[in-house]
Amino acid sequence: MYGSAQIFDTPKLKELENEDPVKLAEFEARIERGEKIEPTDWMPKMYRKQLIRMIEQHAHSEIIGALPEGTWITRAPGFKRKMALMAKVQDEVGHAQLLYSAAETLGKPREQMIEDLISGKSKYSNIFNYPTFTWADSCFISWLVDAGAIVNQLANAKGSYGPYCRALDRICAEEAFHLKYGHHCVISLATGTEKQRQMFQEALNRWWPPMMHFFGPSDKISVHSEILMKWKVKMASNDAMRQQFLDMYVPKIWELGFTIPDQNLKKNEESGEWEYTEPDWDEFKRVINGDGPCNTERLAVRKTAEERGAWVRRALKNPKSAYVTPLA
Amino acid sequence: MSALKSLDPRVARLNIPSEIELITEKEEQDQLNTYQVFRQMNLKRPFEHVGIVHAANLELAFTFAKEQYSRRQTCSGIWVVETEKVKTTDFTEDQESIYSKIEEPENKKGQMEEFDFFHLDKRGKQHVHIGSMKAENHEMALWRAKQELELDKPVYNVWVVKSEDLLKVEEGFQDIWDTLPDKRYREAVDYKAGDKLKEFKERMNQAK
Repeated sequence: MYGSAQIFDTPKLKELENEDPVKLAEFEARIERGEKIEPTDWMPKMYRKQLIRMIEQHAHSEIIGALPEGTWITRAPGFKRKMALMAKVQDEVGHAQLLYSAAETLGKPREQMIEDLISGKSKYSNIFNYPTFTWADSCFISWLVDAGAIVNQLANAKGSYGPYCRALDRICAEEAFHLKYGHHCVISLATGTEKQRQMFQEALNRWWPPMMHFFGPSDKISVHSEILMKWKVKMASNDAMRQQFLDMYVPKIWELGFTIPDQNLKKNEESGEWEYTEPDWDEFKRVINGDGPCNTERLAVRKTAEERGAWVRRALKNPKSAYVTPLA
Repeated sequence: MSALKSLDPRVARLNIPSEIELITEKEEQDQLNTYQVFRQMNLKRPFEHVGIVHAANLELAFTFAKEQYSRRQTCSGIWVVETEKVKTTDFTEDQESIYSKIEEPENKKGQMEEFDFFHLDKRGKQHVHIGSMKAENHEMALWRAKQELELDKPVYNVWVVKSEDLLKVEEGFQDIWDTLPDKRYREAVDYKAGDKLKEFKERMNQAK
């Protein structure tokens, strides 16, 4: 599971003026009662648009996220680690399938989503634009990037769109193994030789800034998302999720004797909140807009896979069987 | 043109041009059709809708569904059907059952055939298989079900599928659902590191 904070469009509240006020009130009342919205239910255009964007980004993150981890399958230390990492990466690609299917119920075909990924029109989790130099980088992703994604996805699983929630329930059920596997890998490095400890410390130094970016821009500067919260598209603010992650995982990193590269990181015992150096949001924006160390490579690999697999799809295609939007 | 440089040996081997043009525009979408998948978690449970797969035909849909929906959870059977072959009713609300809205169809013609029924009993959940019955066509199947079913709870939505359209892989194939005992590396319980961690922390404390 790799879903991070999604990048939303600024909701254009003016668009809502064209919606039928009675239907809109019924729709909002249903969400208020805690009921799910299903594909055939009436929904505002803006809800549909924002959901497609969110679920699609999540799906893209799963397949792109499989690249920096997948590269370590053949070089993972020992047969058992290889088997486990292969199983994990297979799970992540399976999650992409589940998520694309959920987004498709809203009317956007999967192929269109893949095209938008390759053309750069649609985004994926920014953290995967950074490279995995060593085995320890891959361990960082398995443990901590997955942990961050779990914080985010457990919140989203309580959202309002039925097919997305059901996909997330399935995904979360598969996650227990990923998290335990990642932690196990890091404990092995932490309790190993001095060189192994150093290798993880270096990975931690590299990955901490993108990890802080992972939950999205600070609430102070991020787009006002009241309507998305009301419609249960977005379930928690970026800062709230970041706080939850720090609270759960900083103590676990410290107990292994590693240093987190932020001198200001500490828990304010009075407020219960974590204090930290404000992440570099300019870098975040720069990377998300294409200027990161691996953006070009990630998309080039996807595009190559798409092109080199086209003959298989053409060979299998049955002219009598045309694409139909899935039901639920 | 030079090849894309990458830390990933697999990517390096792909020999991708470094100046790759990213925008793709296809003349025609080549994606495959969708199939609905139903799974049975164990022999005592009914089949439940779990999601979809994209595939070229029914057999490949089954193969992919098995990989996608039985890989990580227990499973004793999978059914797949082309999305188009599933006939759906409208949705109802509150205490109103969809069967109260089913009217006698005009077209009563057709060969008597078996139809499978999937009910939605709770909004937000997935359709569950409740059984099958013989009828002349899909509409008549719903009408007959309305006469014959005794329901104590409202049903909000029904899917009716001609049994012949479902590819059912279940009884008689039980061994294909067995999980190999040497696949424990897929389970969280296989990653116990508590003792190692405890010993490490004691060592750290002594060193202080």
